[in-house]
Amino acid sequence: MEYLYDHYAGALLGVVARILKKEELAEEVLQDVFLKVWDRIDSYDASKGKLFTWMLNIARNQAIDKTRSKEFSKGKKTGDLDNYVNRIENEGYVEQKVEGIGLQNLLNTLPEDQRFIIDQHYLKGYTQAEIAEEFNLPLGTVKTRMRLAMKELRNLLK
Amino acid sequence: MNVEQYISSGILEAYVLGELAEQERLEVEKNLKLYPELRKELALIEETQEKLLMKAAVTPRPSLKNSLFAKVDAAEKSAKVVPLPAADGGIAFWKFAAAASITFALITSYLAYDYRDKWKKTESNLAEFTAQNQQMASDYNTVNQRLDAIENDLRVTTNPAFSRVLLRGTANAPGALASVYWNEKTKEVYLSIQELKTLTRENQYQLWAIIDGKPVDAGVFDNNFKGLLKMKDIGSGAATFAVTIEPRGGKQAPTLETMQVAGNVVKS
Repeated sequence: MEYLYDHYAGALLGVVARILKKEELAEEVLQDVFLKVWDRIDSYDASKGKLFTWMLNIARNQAIDKTRSKEFSKGKKTGDLDNYVNRIENEGYVEQKVEGIGLQNLLNTLPEDQRFIIDQHYLKGYTQAEIAEEFNLPLGTVKTRMRLAMKELRNLLK
Repeated sequence: MNVEQYISSGILEAYVLGELAEQERLEVEKNLKLYPELRKELALIEETQEKLLMKAAVTPRPSLKNSLFAKVDAAEKSAKVVPLPAADGGIAFWKFAAAASITFALITSYLAYDYRDKWKKTESNLAEFTAQNQQMASDYNTVNQRLDAIENDLRVTTNPAFSRVLLRGTANAPGALASVYWNEKTKEVYLSIQELKTLTRENQYQLWAIIDGKPVDAGVFDNNFKGLLKMKDIGSGAATFAVTIEPRGGKQAPTLETMQVAGNVVKS
């Protein structure tokens, strides 16, 4: 339990924070995510994917649910949004230094259209459907670009 | 289903992102069970995603962890006060589940090892038996051919149409001995060696038939066969058979000085 938190809290907070873009809300959601994980871990089915993927989907859904809540639309008007977005990016930056290879540098090696999809999804927190709608791309194109990007990253992240 | 095409559509990525509609999701799960290639690909995608998100992690404030675990503790305590067995049972269940899964992993890895070992042994036994079987088949063939040859020899030696001519050693080779079986009607000639010395590679024996006082070539041979050797057909009227040593390939006319054995046909 503690292991899961120590190991994955950062990655999951990154995802949640990018969707919500508000620190307090993101941390609140992260707590909910872990409580949900403890609660439902017996429904995790290893044949359907890795534990991290399962946790990630809980986190993502929890965060997206939150964006539809009253709390979220109310909070939207408060002004510290940009500050937190900056902090997310800065944290990411700190993390990159520790990791040795900069994440942004890594993504910059991808072809522009693939980098864009990864950026929108993993760093800005949009779903594939949202990206397709927002940027007027066929969903199939978003999917195949995501596929190519993930394939490319597979080699880069080795 | 074309697995390659299926993978390249990006559906597995969408599945990993949890962005498929219920029906599509169930279909992917069904296909994952059917195609090991898909499972392999899925694992790679998940691994990439995990690495990527680990790089993009945002460290939570340390206080967050404390408050989370305080909440968890509180939930457990309240579960103890209100005697609901479920919550405490949860921990016990997890201990049990962990122990059970470790045990299960140990047992399965032992079994896997054991089966692999047995499989390897079976594999090597099979290879051994296959080799033995091939050896036996080839032995059987050899014996069969040998038997065919002996049957043929027997047909010749027991056939009254063949007359046997005993060729005794000459002064050159007093101990030598050979026999010719000759069928005057069919003109077939067979030779068997009882005793002839081994020759160098440059030389060969040559059998001659003397017909009307003239030597007729009946073919060359090496001293390395068992049973009967079929020689060239000769005409009728042979009075004598003789064997000389000639250069490999034989000659037109016999070298009389090297004559080893000779014998006259005894008219019956």
